[in-house]
Amino acid sequence: MASTTILHTERIAIDRSLVMRKHFFKSVGLLVSVLALCSVAGAQTYGTKGYAPGAWKPEELPKELSQPKPFNAHDLSGVWSMPTKANYERHSLNDKRLNIQDKSLPGEMRAQSYPPAMTAWGKERFEAAKPSYGPRSVPPGLGNDLVSTCEPMGYPRDLWEANLRPFEFVMASDRVLQHMQYHDLWRTIWTDGRPLPKNPDPAWNGYSIGHWDGDTFIVESTGYDDRTWLDHFGNPHSDQMKLVERYKRLDPDTLQLDMTLTDPKAYMAPWVGDTITFERAKVAIFEEICAPSEENRFNDRVRDAAVGTAKP
Amino acid sequence: MKLRSGMYGILVASFLMLGVPLFAHHGTGVAYETDKLVTVKGTVVDWLWSNPHCGLLFDVTDDKGNLVHWGAELGNPHQMSGAGFARDTFKPGDKITVTGHPAKSGAPRMTLDHLVLADGRTLSGRGVKGNGEHDDPSY
Repeated sequence: MASTTILHTERIAIDRSLVMRKHFFKSVGLLVSVLALCSVAGAQTYGTKGYAPGAWKPEELPKELSQPKPFNAHDLSGVWSMPTKANYERHSLNDKRLNIQDKSLPGEMRAQSYPPAMTAWGKERFEAAKPSYGPRSVPPGLGNDLVSTCEPMGYPRDLWEANLRPFEFVMASDRVLQHMQYHDLWRTIWTDGRPLPKNPDPAWNGYSIGHWDGDTFIVESTGYDDRTWLDHFGNPHSDQMKLVERYKRLDPDTLQLDMTLTDPKAYMAPWVGDTITFERAKVAIFEEICAPSEENRFNDRVRDAAVGTAKP
Repeated sequence: MKLRSGMYGILVASFLMLGVPLFAHHGTGVAYETDKLVTVKGTVVDWLWSNPHCGLLFDVTDDKGNLVHWGAELGNPHQMSGAGFARDTFKPGDKITVTGHPAKSGAPRMTLDHLVLADGRTLSGRGVKGNGEHDDPSY
């Protein structure tokens, strides 16, 4: 039945040379109207500082949300996101991309970061993963990405969401809180002098401590639950993963991060990430909890039906 | 008349697609024909305003008179709010014209490109990034 509709559309496309000539100017007029409508909506709503859809209107919020200048390099507080220009998107530790030849795939589908060589354990985990991004993509209904059912993404994967959703640093006297919009994740980075735990129970978001080295805030983490992936390409990590992150504010609106991952159970060498430069977000943090009941309903009624795996 | 309406939909969608990527969406490229668009006219059955994905269910009568239960994937409520959608945009029974990328499987599912409401308003599901900016510089 659906194929009938698609064939009908294709037939329309075949006849379009005749119809286009006749109605070209009318169509261009319609196009201009649509773009104008979109332009008005974009300018007045989303992207406006502090706009909170479904809650406050822009005119109800303070006009200036950014911090007063000059800034304090040891104050990371504020809402940060990845650059929004030039279609920059970061989905793992590196910006490098494989040269996937299928040009019909969207850019993010062709992107796959380069991990170091994997151990036998790492390869087994990698091959068992069925992601829905990258060159090994399968439709979500046929994959096993935990996020498809709103399971925790873990860290650092949640950080890569900053190309879509911002995160926030909150400074406290004995810790720094890193608040991720997606999943409403609050990561605690202890700054009270405690060491990393020696043999902790694995945690979805690990255990983190931080200290200042000059103007660089160094975060060390361990104790991660190995059920999560490092990224949406299905790159694995083990419970032996250790992360070292170096955050540095370059100016009031720029935050730089360098990350190194060491995981001898999964990788043969440390994985040194490319530098990420975050910018001050143009929007506030919103509640964006991945609600299992809502996502399961969406999967059953829309997404899984696309590949024939919906529950009866 | 029916043919002409469909033509305008394809034309407008084709122009809007120029040089603009789809918004990053879990599994879009492998589940849907990202280089094809279909346009169907239907009646809203249900509107899922939910995190992290919205969904639109609607019924379409095909050329043979069969009722087909269609569904469309959309982004999360924050993304869709930025594109002019709201939790009360649709109610069951509303007449809509929907354009999207069809499922590769042939199932009556699509990822939304844009749609036209009964009152003539056009809402786009494309190019919206969750950080509040559109991929399309013309937005």
